[in-house]
Amino acid sequence: MAGPPAREQALSLLAAANNHGDLAVKLSSLKQAKDILLSVEPSQAAEIFPYLVELQYSPETLVRKYLLEIIDEIGAKTTEHLSILLPALLTFLKDNNPTVAKQSIVTGTNFFCVVLEELAFQFQRRGIVERWLEELWTWILKFRDAVLCFLFEVRPVGPKLLAIKFLEIYVLHFTLDSNGSGTQNPEVTIRQGKAFNVSWITDGHPVLDASALISDANRYMCILLDILQSASSFPGSLTIAAINSLAAIARKRPVYYKSVVTALLDFNPSLEPAKGAHTVSIQYCLRTAFLGFLRCTHPVIAESRERLLKELRSMNAGDAADQVVRHVDKIMKNYERASKDLKFAKDDHLSTQLHISGDATKKRSAPSNNDEQHNSFDASSKRLRYGPNSDTTTSINNDAGQNHVNGIFPKLPVLDVDLTPVEQMIAMIGALIAEGERGVQSLEILVSNIHADLLADIVITNMKHLPENPPPVAKYSNRPGDSSTDPAQVVSSNGSATSMQTSDLSAKVHASSSNTTSLPFSDMSISSNLSTDSKRDPRRDPRRLDPRRMVIPIEAPPTSVFEDNANAVQLAVQTDFDASSSFIPPVLLPPSSIPESTSPLLMPTNETDLNLSELEVDLSIPEDEVQDVNANAFSPDRVTNNALLLSPSPINKAEEPVVHESMDVAMLDEAYSPSSQETDPFSPDTEAAEISLAELPVLPVYVNLAEDHQRNARRLALERLINLYQNSERTDLKQTQIALVARLFAQIDDNDVIEMVQKRIVSDYEQKKGHELVLHILYHLHSLVISDSASSAAAVYEKFLLGVAKSLLVDLPASNKSFSRLLGEVPCIPDSVLAMLDDICTKSHSGADGDRVTQGLGAVWSLILGRPQSRQACLAIALKCTVLPEDDVQAKAIRLVSNKLYAVSYISENIEQFATDMFLSAVDQRFSDSLLSQSAHSEKRIGVQVESMETSISGSHVSEPGISETSTSVIQDASMDDSSSVFSQSHRLMSLFFALCAKKPTLLELVFNSYGRASKAVKQAVHRHVSVLVRSLGSSYSQLLHIISNPPHGSEDLLIQVLHLLSEGQTPPPDLVVTVKHLYETKLKDATILIPILSAFSRDEVLPIFPRLVQLPLPKFQTALAHILQGSAHTGPALTPVEVLVAIHDISPDKDGLPLKKITDACSACFEQRTVFTQQVLAKALNQMVDRTQLPLLYMRTVIQAIDAFPTLVDFVMEILMKLVNRQVWRMPKLWVGFLKCISQTQPHSFHVLLQLPSSPLESALNKYPNLRGPLTAFVNQSNSKTSLPRSTLVLLGLASETHIQQPQVTSSLHASDPNSSISGTTFT
Amino acid sequence: MKLRHAMVCSSNQNRSMEAHAVLKREGFDVASYGTGQHVKLPGPSLREPNVYDFGTPYKHMFEDLRRKDTELYRRNGILPMLKRNLGVKLAPQRWQDNAADGTFDVVLTFEEKVFDAVIEDLHNRNHVLLKPVLVINLEVKDNHEEAAIGGRLALQLCQEIENTENWEDSVDDVIMNFERQNHRKLVYSISYY
Repeated sequence: MAGPPAREQALSLLAAANNHGDLAVKLSSLKQAKDILLSVEPSQAAEIFPYLVELQYSPETLVRKYLLEIIDEIGAKTTEHLSILLPALLTFLKDNNPTVAKQSIVTGTNFFCVVLEELAFQFQRRGIVERWLEELWTWILKFRDAVLCFLFEVRPVGPKLLAIKFLEIYVLHFTLDSNGSGTQNPEVTIRQGKAFNVSWITDGHPVLDASALISDANRYMCILLDILQSASSFPGSLTIAAINSLAAIARKRPVYYKSVVTALLDFNPSLEPAKGAHTVSIQYCLRTAFLGFLRCTHPVIAESRERLLKELRSMNAGDAADQVVRHVDKIMKNYERASKDLKFAKDDHLSTQLHISGDATKKRSAPSNNDEQHNSFDASSKRLRYGPNSDTTTSINNDAGQNHVNGIFPKLPVLDVDLTPVEQMIAMIGALIAEGERGVQSLEILVSNIHADLLADIVITNMKHLPENPPPVAKYSNRPGDSSTDPAQVVSSNGSATSMQTSDLSAKVHASSSNTTSLPFSDMSISSNLSTDSKRDPRRDPRRLDPRRMVIPIEAPPTSVFEDNANAVQLAVQTDFDASSSFIPPVLLPPSSIPESTSPLLMPTNETDLNLSELEVDLSIPEDEVQDVNANAFSPDRVTNNALLLSPSPINKAEEPVVHESMDVAMLDEAYSPSSQETDPFSPDTEAAEISLAELPVLPVYVNLAEDHQRNARRLALERLINLYQNSERTDLKQTQIALVARLFAQIDDNDVIEMVQKRIVSDYEQKKGHELVLHILYHLHSLVISDSASSAAAVYEKFLLGVAKSLLVDLPASNKSFSRLLGEVPCIPDSVLAMLDDICTKSHSGADGDRVTQGLGAVWSLILGRPQSRQACLAIALKCTVLPEDDVQAKAIRLVSNKLYAVSYISENIEQFATDMFLSAVDQRFSDSLLSQSAHSEKRIGVQVESMETSISGSHVSEPGISETSTSVIQDASMDDSSSVFSQSHRLMSLFFALCAKKPTLLELVFNSYGRASKAVKQAVHRHVSVLVRSLGSSYSQLLHIISNPPHGSEDLLIQVLHLLSEGQTPPPDLVVTVKHLYETKLKDATILIPILSAFSRDEVLPIFPRLVQLPLPKFQTALAHILQGSAHTGPALTPVEVLVAIHDISPDKDGLPLKKITDACSACFEQRTVFTQQVLAKALNQMVDRTQLPLLYMRTVIQAIDAFPTLVDFVMEILMKLVNRQVWRMPKLWVGFLKCISQTQPHSFHVLLQLPSSPLESALNKYPNLRGPLTAFVNQSNSKTSLPRSTLVLLGLASETHIQQPQVTSSLHASDPNSSISGTTFT
Repeated sequence: MKLRHAMVCSSNQNRSMEAHAVLKREGFDVASYGTGQHVKLPGPSLREPNVYDFGTPYKHMFEDLRRKDTELYRRNGILPMLKRNLGVKLAPQRWQDNAADGTFDVVLTFEEKVFDAVIEDLHNRNHVLLKPVLVINLEVKDNHEEAAIGGRLALQLCQEIENTENWEDSVDDVIMNFERQNHRKLVYSISYY
């Protein structure tokens, strides 16, 4: 490497950094120097350090700060030569510039962590600690003290904040982490990013004394608490930092929790004479701390929940607190559920592991995983389960924690807080037994104080450890010799997996000594975990058993088993008869057997054995007691049960090694040597075993029974157990009873037994945990089926499940969830049950069964989601229901399928396929006969419904009359042919498909495509569905747009209906309008499709297409008219009624290619709407048109219609007529006819007008309507107008003698094109 | 400007973005975050808010809402707000996911719930840098008018903190002065990075 040159260079750079006048130069040379220092060998760099340290006196803050950063970086690279640099840290701590002081603490804290870890590991790895490291540590300690002093000097607050943080880190480092990873390899943990913990400091460390450090930490903790005490003399920010740090420590190290929480609760910032501190913030900080505690799930913290809640409420933070509590509870529940599954998986893992015992690497990987699960799980779950009654257990907990803190048991993993209460109790009982006589008394006291739940747990835990085969009686006496091999057997049978957990650590702790001291306990913790787990979820364990049963051969022949049982039984009976109060010893025995017990893998046979023995007990109890089953005097029985369950263990234990010798040898290839067993004060196993054996009672005589008797006995026992089970209030016994019932049941495959059990269980299914019992029985039966496919268990299983399911249906209300829960949780569902389910859903017709259907469908639903095996079958049931003729069943099924199941990705395709098939079969009318006949009775109802719907549609004028017309006609036809049946058929078959369309509108494309080829009735069904569907689509219509933009041929009717529905009751959406317009312009020249969106059209858009609208059939035009007049909310109507009238009149039949009839019809349609086309509207329209140069063709017709419709318009009409006269209406032949007709109809009002006509037109008028002449003459005579009338008129009326000179004048004026003549005529008036 | 500021509200839309915009305009080193699970904006009714994930660009939301109902969202000020936001930064960010954004000196929250969330989050992080961070809560109602006022107050508060030599020494005074002047209640706490 660079060698001396690098050194020279660095030195000159450092000199520059020290002496140069310019700060920038100083900094840049320092930077270069740093680069060199970091690049050369550490030893070389160390030579330069003394010069580097010189810079600490530099007057420039920036230089000093940079120097600190350099030191930090060097420290991160190598720690070996740091001791030269560390004194600088101390100097910097006192620096006047807070930034430098802060940086110094940060760097110091980093060094502290690094050096500490190095110290711990160096000794672990190499057994020595190098001198430089030791020296470094002394500097670190000096630094620690300096920081402490700093805290109480008058100094800037910034560095003090960091000093507090340093204290927090220090305390955390030197307090045992009781949550944590005591059993893990520390170096692995470090690599995982976890912090150092004092528990890693190996005993006998030359520098670090764990207990001293722990008490040190304790001292610093007190200092932190002191800060709180004297908060009044500190600024608020410091108090807040202290509170935060204390809270963090309490959360991470529950040992300190009590003292911290007491201090915080006592601390009242508002009472302290605040010296410029922001009290509200401090108070809030307390609040945050308490809320933080609430979030913690550690038992010690959870204990003070109530107190915290109270305090928070008094701070007005009750809501926040409640929220946190709810949140935590939720998390805990989820967590517990999740960890159940984890454990579940772990069981599997362990069991498989046992069989590959040779593979060391595999094992090594597993334990750490398992351990993590188990650690974290325990901390949270034990509180939950034993919350209210675990006084004893928590005290143990606390003791254990305290012990750690005080450094009494720093290296004993045995009493680690990770143990569950049960494990702790067992350990404690074991320890008491180990004390022999002295212990018995305390043991009695202890047991009498244990809560029933806990006791039951202990009992059951131990039950699981019973050996596979009970020992032959003959070998009973040879046990003392065997006991020496016991530990070996422990190791071999279950140690291979469990002991690995501790081996990593213990290898470090007792590098050379035996592992056995810790083994029994670790073993115990694992196995009891398994059992508590299975206890919580009873159906888990039978299920777990199956594979193991198959793997492990049952070695003892059945007869010997029987024999053994008899021994056990007799022992039990003996105990029972001895004295019911003295059953404590049996209870206490099991713990002693735990260490020797085999792994849980051997459980099943044990339990079956127990059942047998239970049977025998009943027999041996005097007859009258057996008769007395229903009496409530059960207490002796309970005792019997307990005794029974427990007592066989010692015997079994004693014999087990013999029975399993071959297996032991096979498993002994692990590294654990049998000779490593040493008696240890903490390992009670050997002694305990001996004591327990010494106390065993004498065995009674074995009674052999005939087949019949056996069966009878079993039955009685079963009956009695169930009775007991139902009446018993003691939940602790129930677990055992459940297990027993299950096994007994499996042995008696007798019909009436099945019925009896079924009836009893169902009779109080809810309250008495019938569900649990049933499941247990079923799981047991199932495990029998799996282990022996030839057994009759399958039939019993099916029968029993079916029976229970049926009686649940019959006995419980339909709203009860038990049925679906049962089906959801049983081990497997036979076809017969599925058939029953099918029946429930499809075959219940009466009205009261509606709820049953719901229940059935609910069960189907949960099965589809929860049981992949039965998924297809259940889905088939659900789908079948969707095409049933019963409306309510169908509706329910469709709701289920479309709303719930369709969303499930793995079946949505099946559903879609089914729905499509059904839809297409409807379209193509491929009804199966059965479906048709089924539908016969329902079709009428649907028909009625349809009819009522149609009438309601035609009632509103906005809806399209075209469609209602066709459908009504279809309905009418329906009575004649079978189209009604087709309609109801297809309607039914399509329902599901349309329900799916609502979820996935693109499916509608199929509807459009197949619409064209569908029959009338099918189309009608489609229309009905579409109307419902489109309304429900709402805003997701946009997916329809691309279908609309390119409708398949033949689907126009449907398209129009969809358009109507989409724009119904609202302004058509703009994108829809655009799409339809484009369609009209390009492909579909049918103005009908524009009708629905007309309301969104503006005046200029409507006018060009108006003739096309008029051309439509009248009903469609009416609809269009309504849309046009309705307009949109934003823009108002496209055309006013006046404009509509004018527009209609503007249509020219020739130019627009429209028959006149269409236009007149349109006009008439307008007149029909008298509320819209009112008098005023007509008047205005007529007025507008009369001023046109070219009068519309139909003008006079409209005038006549107007006067017909509104007689009061007569005066207005006269004005119009007068205007027409002025415009020489007689010259317009088409209008003239109408004019005269109008005159004639409006006489006598029109006489004024008539008299204004020149004589020639007047004459032709009178000729055309001769009956006018008389009234007109009379009118002229009566009125005074005679004088004002032109003579020619009078002559015409025969009121004056005519001169033949005037006649030609008039004629000429009639033919004159000069308007003046007419003007002159009028001026006469 | 020696300090880094973070403005935090629940959705990183209104209050924090108003303050972000104001401080950014004044040249502060500032970022903004939300602590909620999602970004929620008012919808046509109380029950149907518009919900987006953090990280959805403001521009996307702007266009989405404009498409849904221009009139409504213009009237209730959402569209103008989004327009303002997309000029400030790309998308709303979540506080709990901001570890990569580096450390802040001052974190200003605008709601007690948010303050709690920030504190809790900071407490749960690994404190490796040992850099103190000041977290202040300034209660501001979640509407446009209050947010505008809140933005100005935030600016004033940040300026005052910026003007101190070391905020650790004088944070109590700054807070109490501010409370007196503006008749607003503040709460602060201290955590570490």
